[in-house]
Amino acid sequence: MLAAVGLRPYGALVLIAATVGAWALIVGPATLVAGAGQVNQVASLDTGRALYLQGCASCHGSAGQGTPNGPSIVDAGAAGADFELRTGRMPLAAPSLPEVRQPPAYDEAQIEALVAFVASLGNGPAIPDVVASVGDLARGRQIYIANCAACHGATGAGGTVGGGFVAPGLDLADPRTVAEATVVGPGPMPAFAFDRQQLDDLAAYVEELHHPPHPGGLPVAEVGPVAEGFLAFFVGIVTLVAVARWTGRAPR
Amino acid sequence: MNDRTTERPERMRRSAPGDRQEPDPPPLAIPENPMAERIVGAAFVAALLAGFGLLGVYLLGGQTQVEAILLTICLGGIGAGIIVWSQALLPNRIVSETRHPLRSEPDEEGGVLAAPAITRRTMLIRLMAAAFAGLGAALAIPVFSLGPAPGRDLFVTPWRSGLRLVDDQGAVVHRDQIPMGGLLTVFPDGSPGSADGQTLLINVGAGLLQVAPDRLSWAPEGFVAYSKVCTHAGCPVGLYRASLHSLICPCHQSTFDVLRGAVPTGGPAVRPLPQLPIKLQSDGTFVALGDFTEPVGPSFWNIHSGG
Amino acid sequence: MADDAGRLEPGGGEQRGGDVERSVLPPVRRPTELERLADWFDGRTGFGRYARMALRKVFPDHWTFLLGEVALFCFVILLATGVFMTFFYTPDSRPTTYHGPYAPLAGAQVSAAFESVMRLSFEVRAGLLMRQIHHWTALVFLGSIGVHLARVFFTGAFRRPRDINWLIGVTLLLLALAEGFTGYSLPDDLLSGTGLRIAYSAALSIPFIGPWLASLIFGGEFPTLELISRLFVFHVMLLPGLLIGAIGTHLLIVYVQTHTQYKSRATREDNVVGLPFWPGQVFRSVGLLFLTAAVIALIAGLIQINPVWLYGPFIPYAVSSPAQPDWYVGWLEGLLRLGLPFEPTILGVTIPSPFIPGIVIPGILFTILLLWPFIEARATGDHAEHHLLDWPWESPIRTATGAAGIALFLVITLAGGNDVIGVFLNVPVETLTAILRVLFVVLPVATWLLIYWLASSQRRRRAAGADTSHIRAGGVAIRRTATGGFEEIDAIEGDAD
Repeated sequence: MLAAVGLRPYGALVLIAATVGAWALIVGPATLVAGAGQVNQVASLDTGRALYLQGCASCHGSAGQGTPNGPSIVDAGAAGADFELRTGRMPLAAPSLPEVRQPPAYDEAQIEALVAFVASLGNGPAIPDVVASVGDLARGRQIYIANCAACHGATGAGGTVGGGFVAPGLDLADPRTVAEATVVGPGPMPAFAFDRQQLDDLAAYVEELHHPPHPGGLPVAEVGPVAEGFLAFFVGIVTLVAVARWTGRAPR
Repeated sequence: MNDRTTERPERMRRSAPGDRQEPDPPPLAIPENPMAERIVGAAFVAALLAGFGLLGVYLLGGQTQVEAILLTICLGGIGAGIIVWSQALLPNRIVSETRHPLRSEPDEEGGVLAAPAITRRTMLIRLMAAAFAGLGAALAIPVFSLGPAPGRDLFVTPWRSGLRLVDDQGAVVHRDQIPMGGLLTVFPDGSPGSADGQTLLINVGAGLLQVAPDRLSWAPEGFVAYSKVCTHAGCPVGLYRASLHSLICPCHQSTFDVLRGAVPTGGPAVRPLPQLPIKLQSDGTFVALGDFTEPVGPSFWNIHSGG
Repeated sequence: MADDAGRLEPGGGEQRGGDVERSVLPPVRRPTELERLADWFDGRTGFGRYARMALRKVFPDHWTFLLGEVALFCFVILLATGVFMTFFYTPDSRPTTYHGPYAPLAGAQVSAAFESVMRLSFEVRAGLLMRQIHHWTALVFLGSIGVHLARVFFTGAFRRPRDINWLIGVTLLLLALAEGFTGYSLPDDLLSGTGLRIAYSAALSIPFIGPWLASLIFGGEFPTLELISRLFVFHVMLLPGLLIGAIGTHLLIVYVQTHTQYKSRATREDNVVGLPFWPGQVFRSVGLLFLTAAVIALIAGLIQINPVWLYGPFIPYAVSSPAQPDWYVGWLEGLLRLGLPFEPTILGVTIPSPFIPGIVIPGILFTILLLWPFIEARATGDHAEHHLLDWPWESPIRTATGAAGIALFLVITLAGGNDVIGVFLNVPVETLTAILRVLFVVLPVATWLLIYWLASSQRRRRAAGADTSHIRAGGVAIRRTATGGFEEIDAIEGDAD
């Protein structure tokens, strides 16, 4: 729940991370999450069930067991539900539509209630604890290049993974959803078992990728040599041909 | 500058007394164009100012974009000034000249080489050619110093029976590091980061693999290990669609089916990714049962010869 | 110097023809500084007599003839920026620890080469600007060579006696490609390392000699510690040396053969009509040099290129997607992506899958390009000298073939970026590849037929004599004599446009 409180606005996360993060290291993360979780649980479950039956049950079944229209989410866990709802990938307007990132359909309280309900359905993963501000950029970069860059690209711009699937760009990925994605492995993405330190490091580097230094000017190179070549030809060469045309015009 | 433009055209002087004097070009009026003069002058002044501005920006610590804009103005001012000058202020006289045959006149000995004194000694010419061929062969020797003979390098990797599986930092890999549907790049203990030893350890879960029975035992509890080096052009096969159990190479989009022994299902690759025989130990770590049984990476002409 | 300057006065010596205008010259003129300098030099070398020949040489005047100059000036910029970067670059693959200001790489193990490129980019003042100008110029250099080549091809400028210069020109293109690829690889970053991996595999795929060849070029099995230092020697010494020599020869042959010219009322096969080298052409070319540099400086300073800090150092087991080379190598990458999964083993000899698309097809394409003047001469039976250029419609087969070549190049270059284009168009990359495989065959053929039809009908229309708008105006009043003098001739009638 730590991240749930602190995530938006981002500034609050930094404050909480600084104070609570230090405390969490002493008391132990398990205690913290369990303790914070119990407070809202009873109230949320009823609201969550109501929202679930209204918005999710037609595809995922009344107890998350799945239907021909949608997979079982019994073991999706809090992490899976939170990721899907917070990134707007769920709910889908129609079962046949592709999952794409959108503004979330529910507000913060509704998401928390739904997440609590889905988590109660089975033994899915909890929402991972992640504090980007305590992460180490250099270690995060190493983890990112070794595990994430193959699909999401070294610059985080995303790209195809074949078969019509696209690894999305990470420009909107916040630390919480990044951590959830690694735990859950949503869609075609594989799951990872990063420890808490690794998640902090990785989240820190993904944050860095949102605003890396661009000392060289406009960052068109985020899609690499394809954009560069396009510009070289359709800006560079075209301009230079025009310059040659002007230079070589018949003297008067 | 203004005075200069009213002068008569300058003429080439002859190079030395008594030298053959060529007629100089007939004089042409130098175009009068005060407007163009002002433009050229302004362009040069802009270049001058931008050049010193660039120096100033540099001395103040530098800023790439500002430097580039000032450099552009400096270079562009000079260039545009010269071009406008050439177009508006030079007597651009179209001249015609005769084109002459390129082939040289034959001299009295006939032909350019014209050397019967040499060509008559046919035997010696052949021997000389042979001597140069010998020299060529001798000089080719250093070329073979440039790299080792390929030998068996292409057929083997650092994997050996009993070597533990470690990650890119050299830490021993535990099964808990790879959740269901996850994967990790692993290396033989002692060679972390090895280019030909790089291997993907994938947890597909027990019961899903459809490989040959003898190879099923190489994949304990659904942990299967394939070479990460693409069999097409050698790129790391880094993209994994876990839900479809397919590996994709980002370079040329060769696609491999993890459940069916990493056979290629798309793209230009032909050979499956070789499978590494591994064993899961009771402490949750893995050891290799030997090297890959076929060469990893891209094909070469005698790849099927077994080395 | 006073007596030297006095010799500026005309007079004495044998005068040959065309001296009627001498009487209108001013009697006395003080020499300019430039003339005095030239005279100082001439008095010590006697170079003036050759310089006069060269300075008065006539070059036909058309803006399309400047495209090759753009390529030349790109090369000049590459040399200048390249020399600067050489002072900072460390050609060494050995690992070192990065301690520079870019935080995400703090403490990372990188090669000395990568570390030096990072230092050049972040710590050497104006270093990043130089690096970006160099890289952008390289991209533009290859493009301007392509545009120049297209001009030469479609106007038939490669015909005898310029077939020799066509051979040198295509060689220059090959050298420039190699120069570009080796330079792209020098930062030793993740993206370029992937490109080297593919180059190694392509060399390895050649039957019989592949394993030896790959080992000799790379110094063993990929990746090796020798690789970067070898690439460096190629990039800053061998290839530039060959380029300079070949460019010098290319220009010398243009000078010796004199330039081709478009058909006009004034031009004939046996004359050259244009501006004298000095001052018109010199001003124009020097101006173009600076303008070319200005355009590239603007692009290079405002648009970031190859941010190696984001790609990070080359790690043999990591890869970034999308993985692309620079655009001029994209066609080779595209051929590999379009390649079919075909790897037969015949009598124990395996033909690796990359061999045909990666080695054989590029080899065939370059051979056709290189030998085109001779192929065309053989096909048409036209072995005569040509100094007047064709308009594209005057040789429909040549024009259609060139257009088909461009179409082919376009398809395979797009295939090299199929992953990026697929995402952009929201088409699965496999579908796009399948479409491009079809276009690989269909588009060149369709282009050939279309352009042939267009050019032929244009030729017929013009042959009917109605349209002479392509005949350029004349207006020649001066003729240059064989030895470098000038004489007046009757003005050639021309309809001024």
